[in-house]
This record gives sequence, structure tokens and C-alpha cells, in this order.
Amino acid sequence: MRSRPPRAKHLRLPAAVLAFAVVVLLLNVPAPARAAPALQAITSQPNDSSSPFNVTWNGVDVSTAATSSSALAIDLSQSANLNYNWFTGSSAKLSVTDARLEMFYFGFAVSTRDQLVSGAIASARGNIPLSWTPLSIGFVLEGVYRLTATFLDNGTTLWSENFYVRGTAPLGFVALLPIVLLIIVVYELYGLVRSGRYAMLGRKSGGPPPSQPSAGTPPADATAPPETPAENNPPPSGGDS
Amino acid sequence: MSAASHGASCGVVLGIVLVIFLQQIAYLDLSDLVPAIENLVIGAVVGGVLGALIGWALGRSYLARHATGETTAAK
Repeated sequence: MRSRPPRAKHLRLPAAVLAFAVVVLLLNVPAPARAAPALQAITSQPNDSSSPFNVTWNGVDVSTAATSSSALAIDLSQSANLNYNWFTGSSAKLSVTDARLEMFYFGFAVSTRDQLVSGAIASARGNIPLSWTPLSIGFVLEGVYRLTATFLDNGTTLWSENFYVRGTAPLGFVALLPIVLLIIVVYELYGLVRSGRYAMLGRKSGGPPPSQPSAGTPPADATAPPETPAENNPPPSGGDS
Repeated sequence: MSAASHGASCGVVLGIVLVIFLQQIAYLDLSDLVPAIENLVIGAVVGGVLGALIGWALGRSYLARHATGETTAAK
């Protein structure tokens, strides 16, 4: 007797490989300045030219990266040198005891870096250098993130500014989270492609209840309905009368 | 579970995962909580609807392809 395996069996591996290849190709699309413009309004205060405060990231004023589309392109394995500067331009003096840098993801600070100034003295101008190496984050995350640079005086915020960076994973390789997401995407695409088999289970529900597969897993071969039962189990001879 | 509901469940997961993946490749910004949740909900709803449609269509196709076998077996 000739038994033909289900057609989906032939398509299983090529479909999974094709889905994986499509997503990997998507990864290689150049990503400069393509963040959604609808989200660009998520910035805090505008850079006031009269503000005595100023922050630079590797010599670049962070106010130039106030939107996600103008985010600073950085390598998350490289250290960033920030300079927190203030200059009142008058006899007024400011006391800054803390320069803080925070990185946000889903509204939560995933990384915070503080540069404390011990024995701070009020002055009309000053500079606090801060070095930040987000290497541990770079192994897990990449993409566009909002950072906040803050001047504090004994816990009181004097001034803060939001800016955006577009981080790439170390060594130009994808980070851990995108890899996990890709695996989930391929698995769910595979489950979606095979979801047609569940139609047979729904049709058989009039009889005894079949063993229901779990919701998150694609149906295994054991739960699949029998393929071409006429070929596998021919009726007994003489039954065609 | 019908083919449509299975497709919808797959589509919801795909929609949520794709939103996070788009942030990882710098298409989206998920730094703030509220717009991030909105994006995730939109992704889940769109993915669920599309997944249900795809599952329903695949189910119809599967039944059409295997109806001949059932008819033969019934004879």
C-alpha cells in the first residue's frame, strides 16, 4: 500500500527556513533615521538658548538629538564621554552636586549613571565629566532609546534634557533580545501556517471530543487527522455492494 | 479550537513580538510607557485579526483539500 505523507510535512522545513530568511533580510535593511515620526513629539523641555546648562555627548550637543529621528548613532560597546557644563553669564552662582544620565525603556530606567561631586561649591560656571560604557546593555538591547541628562543639587533637579540615541550591538552583531524575538516570530509563523489543520478538529467536534492541543503550540503530527483514510485503511472486500 | 482562533492566537503573539522587534531595529521608539503600550495593543489587535483571517482561510483550504478523502472513505 502506498501512503502519501501530508503536504504540510513537505512544506514544514522550507516554510520555516523561508520565514527565518525573510526576517534576517529585514535585519539587514539600513536603519538610519527611520524611526516613526509620530513618536517624535516625546521630548521633554525644548533647548532654551538662555539656559545656563549644556550637555555634550562625545563633543556633540545632545540638544541636536532631541527627536528619535535625529538620534545619535552610537556603538553600545564603546564608552561615551559626556560633559555637563553650566555657565550663568552673570554673578549668579549655581551649586551642582550630581550629574545624572538615565536610559529609558518602556518608561523605566534600564540604566542610570551618576557622577557625584563631593564638596560642591556654588560657582558661575563649571564642568562635570561623565563616562558611560553601556556594554552590558549592548549585549541585550539595541535600537532607539531616550536618555535623560540631569543636573541635580542635593536631590533637587535643576535642569534636565531628553535626547535619543540609536545603539547598535557590540561587534555589529545582533543583541540577545532580537535573537529571542526572531525565534518567537519563526515559531509563531510556523504555527500560523499549520493552523489550517485545526479546522478538521472543529469539524469532528460533533462526535466524541478530540484531544485538544494546547493554544500556544502548533499541532503535532499525532493530533493531525488521518490523511486519505481510503488509502491507508481500505474498506473490507465485498463492502461495495 | 478552530483554525481561526488558533490563527488569532498566533497573530496576537506575532503582533506584540513584531512591535518590540521593530524597536530593536530602530523603526519604533518604546522609551515611554504609554505610547509603548498603545503600540503593543495595536500590534496585538491587528495581528489577532489578520491571524484569524489567515487561519480561517487556511482551514477552509485544508478542508477543501481533504474533503475528497473523507468522501472516498465514506463510500
